Amino acid sequence: MMSDVLVIIPAYNEEENIERVVGNLAEHYPEFDYVVVNDGSKDQTAEICRKNNYNLLDLPVNLGLAGGFQAGLKYAWKNHYPYAVQFDGDGQHRPEYIGAMREKMDEGYDIVIGSRFVAEKKPRSMRMLGSNLIAMAIRMTTGVKIKDPTSGMRMFSRKMIEEFALSLNYGPEPDTVSYLIKQGAKVAEVQVVMDERIAGVSYLNPVNAAKYMSKMLFSILLIQNFRKRDKRFKRKAGGNEG
Amino acid sequence: MTTVLRVVLILMSLLVGVVMLRKIRHSKAQIEDAMFWMFFSLLLILFSVFPKAATWLSKLVGTMSTANFIFLLIIFLLLVKSFSMSMRISQLETRVKELVQRIAMEDHELKKRVSFEEKEETDQRIEKRDEE
Repeated sequence: MMSDVLVIIPAYNEEENIERVVGNLAEHYPEFDYVVVNDGSKDQTAEICRKNNYNLLDLPVNLGLAGGFQAGLKYAWKNHYPYAVQFDGDGQHRPEYIGAMREKMDEGYDIVIGSRFVAEKKPRSMRMLGSNLIAMAIRMTTGVKIKDPTSGMRMFSRKMIEEFALSLNYGPEPDTVSYLIKQGAKVAEVQVVMDERIAGVSYLNPVNAAKYMSKMLFSILLIQNFRKRDKRFKRKAGGNEG
Repeated sequence: MTTVLRVVLILMSLLVGVVMLRKIRHSKAQIEDAMFWMFFSLLLILFSVFPKAATWLSKLVGTMSTANFIFLLIIFLLLVKSFSMSMRISQLETRVKELVQRIAMEDHELKKRVSFEEKEETDQRIEKRDEE
């Protein structure tokens, strides 16, 4: 039987992690379908997936997170999944929380964020300063409080899957979330615990982090306010029906 | 800087900003690409509104006049942009090449398999007929 949640696992050079992450998911959480999106990795990621017979979308060139994740959403859209969740290939996210996020979806939300700070307090660090700034920018432009905007664990409803899969400038980033909230999408957060990445290197060094932050702030505070939503999504999207 | 130059810079920058926002609005450009032009026009507007800052920098760099400094700045930014665009086009061409080759390869494999299956089918049919 087909699961109603598709777990999308974007993977770029994750040969050290992918077997552990997908193995755990496939073995202990067979109630969820998954797809690994190999984003043109230069290491053995694709070979490992093929050897283990994982469900794999193998991109021939590197598209970056936005393009890779969108490929996964296109797969979800084509295969009629009602829900899709963004799930890191480096082992930061724990599959035990997918069920809770799925349940939250039943309350009629468009996006459910797996958040580190619903019940827990935010630690004080440079990274969290960035997170706070983005949260503040979202609050200023939408009036909605998102406690963990940079969490990469997000679940999307069917209409969001369609919108993300078919349009331009819908990267899985806080600025898109901010834009959608402004457009009337309903977003909720569910408390989760995340792990530090176990192996491999994150691309998030201080310079990249600062670049990312300024890009997000500029985008949320200025650019997103000028965007026009495609008519076909306006009618369907949350908050506008009533 | 003369007032005319400042006004021209501000008007042109505003125009660039508006055009880029319109492109974003109608989903014709990626946000990352729009950002450079927005920053570019913002910078020119800042220098036009506060020419003292430009003059100070001009003295620091050693350009003869503030206007010269502004031109130099524009040339420099455009050079950097054209360099990064040239790199991006190189990468894009490599990717297109890889994709086209891969599609051709997979298409070939597929046709080979199909024609193999077709041949097997015909062979079986002939065998059946011979038996009859």
